[in-house]
Amino acid sequence: MSTPVQVQDLQEAEVVFRVKRYSKEKGDYWQEYKLKVDRFTQVTEALRRIKVKQDPSLAYRASCHMAVCGSCGMKINGEPRLACKTLVLDVVKKFGTNVITLEPMDRFPIVKDLVVDMTEFYDRMERVKPRLYPSKEVLEYKAEHRLKPEDQRLLWKFAQCIWCGLCVSACPAVKEDPLFLGPAAHAKGFRFLRDPRDTITEERVKVLADSAWRCTYCYMCYHVCPRDIEPVTAIKKTRALLKSVKPMGPAQEVGHKHSEAVYESIYTYGKINEGVVYVKTYGLIRSLVDMTYAFRAGKAKYALEKVEPVKEVEQVRELMRGE
Amino acid sequence: MKVAYYPGCASHGLSKDVDIATRKVADLLGIELVEVPDWNCCGGGFLDEYDEVGQVALSIRNLSKVESLRLNKMVTPCSVCLHSHRLAQHKYKEDSDVRKAVNKRLNRANVQYSGTVETEHIVWVLLRDVGVERLKQHVKRPLTGLKVGAYYGCQMLRPESVMGFEPAFNPRSLETLISITGATPVTFPQARACCGFPLMGSNPDVGLKLAYNVLSGATNAGADILVHPCNLCHLQLDTLQLKVVERFKLPQPLPAIYITQLLGLAFGFTPEELGIPKLALEVLRKKGVV
Repeated sequence: MSTPVQVQDLQEAEVVFRVKRYSKEKGDYWQEYKLKVDRFTQVTEALRRIKVKQDPSLAYRASCHMAVCGSCGMKINGEPRLACKTLVLDVVKKFGTNVITLEPMDRFPIVKDLVVDMTEFYDRMERVKPRLYPSKEVLEYKAEHRLKPEDQRLLWKFAQCIWCGLCVSACPAVKEDPLFLGPAAHAKGFRFLRDPRDTITEERVKVLADSAWRCTYCYMCYHVCPRDIEPVTAIKKTRALLKSVKPMGPAQEVGHKHSEAVYESIYTYGKINEGVVYVKTYGLIRSLVDMTYAFRAGKAKYALEKVEPVKEVEQVRELMRGE
Repeated sequence: MKVAYYPGCASHGLSKDVDIATRKVADLLGIELVEVPDWNCCGGGFLDEYDEVGQVALSIRNLSKVESLRLNKMVTPCSVCLHSHRLAQHKYKEDSDVRKAVNKRLNRANVQYSGTVETEHIVWVLLRDVGVERLKQHVKRPLTGLKVGAYYGCQMLRPESVMGFEPAFNPRSLETLISITGATPVTFPQARACCGFPLMGSNPDVGLKLAYNVLSGATNAGADILVHPCNLCHLQLDTLQLKVVERFKLPQPLPAIYITQLLGLAFGFTPEELGIPKLALEVLRKKGVV
């Protein structure tokens, strides 16, 4: 059992690592290792010491130990993290216990212990063609590549992906929707979609457009990304860029109407008028059908609540007007 | 204490009961909620995909209204409104390109903001400013025997670097509040998963499946009822619950109420005073709580 730990000025501690292990022969099981760590010990270093001194059969992946190679993604006390970018005592402090669980990332098939098979992740990344396709002129040295500083500032963040897979392992939409490319691929996809030096925009649009409307904006990817890439932000920007691109896939078609209705409602009233947005997105008949669920849940009395428009709505409109 | 109050669009619509219960509970606890004058929508988590600068500018307009009240804290019952405002403040502070573009629009629209306002969730105010001990003193009718699933959803927690109140993978605020009421908190695997609401406007089939995952997860963990912290979770898990029940043939609903509705019951308000929704009322009666 866990022991409550007095934490704030902790310099060293004996920590119990509960590791979820797996092998083809034995299946799943938990194993505990005790280890003394100090305030500089990363989780990868702890694993290295366990493997060298206690149990050579323990399998995990790690290489650079500096959050660059993306090899050591795992769940640390349930949270998807890079083991090398996580200090053991920080986890002890955050959770108030000296017992730390280590599990393989969700979603990917487990090869052994903390090592997962990333093939499915790499396939997703390949689908967005994660490389620049320069023009013929550039390849033949007849022209030069140019990138404005503001474009570079915009794209920089999304180019920092280290392919660790943490965001995909944690994404709820990926789990339920085979047509959604997932957060990492969208960040990478947007990075090239918006790059003025790239030449296969049309092909990129086809891959990214409908998928972008399949994200649920839960901000899991933003939270777990060890490189602060904000894949969800890339998805929002992709929607902005491709909102009217045709032909529209099913999610894009509905999503486009919905966002347009949200925009219009705020522009008109300064607020979201749920009823109007629903009808504009789904049409009257579908809205009436869904309204019956609300009525059966006893919500009829609120359905006619009148939205009180913003008095200074002209000021709101001014804030919504571009340059 | 006096704080600015931002109800959010949904709580003046189908999630009206969230607003009703929150005002009642705040009043009892001596928190004076001053509604932000002439507030506008925060963008609802969607406007920024059309117009990121506009979304930040709209949030700043609300915060400037709070400054005009000479207050430095704005509280909201809605996780999405919380998220929009905090993210907008974060971008305005950290991203000089966004700040420049936003400032242009603020100047044009004559909105002044000096950056002194914090946006907080009502749950944070209850725990941090009122405190567990004072909340306990108000309990008149302990909800003993009721098992309540603590459902956080997404936006009150993530990203932790911007929301900051509690660890996104180890939140305890709702369990703490549930325990205060005398009910038994139920922690379940999908407590921090998405309810699916933001997908209802583009991919409703998956949106409903996500709601089903939450409801079935909490049911399997033994919950009689769910509490949540969000106007829009309320739309998905209360208003549209019967659609989920029908689609996935759930044996019975798992009603969802807002956290201040649960607190209000323990504080002695009647279900009518708190606007407790119909589905929840049936379960609460069956459990002998009301």
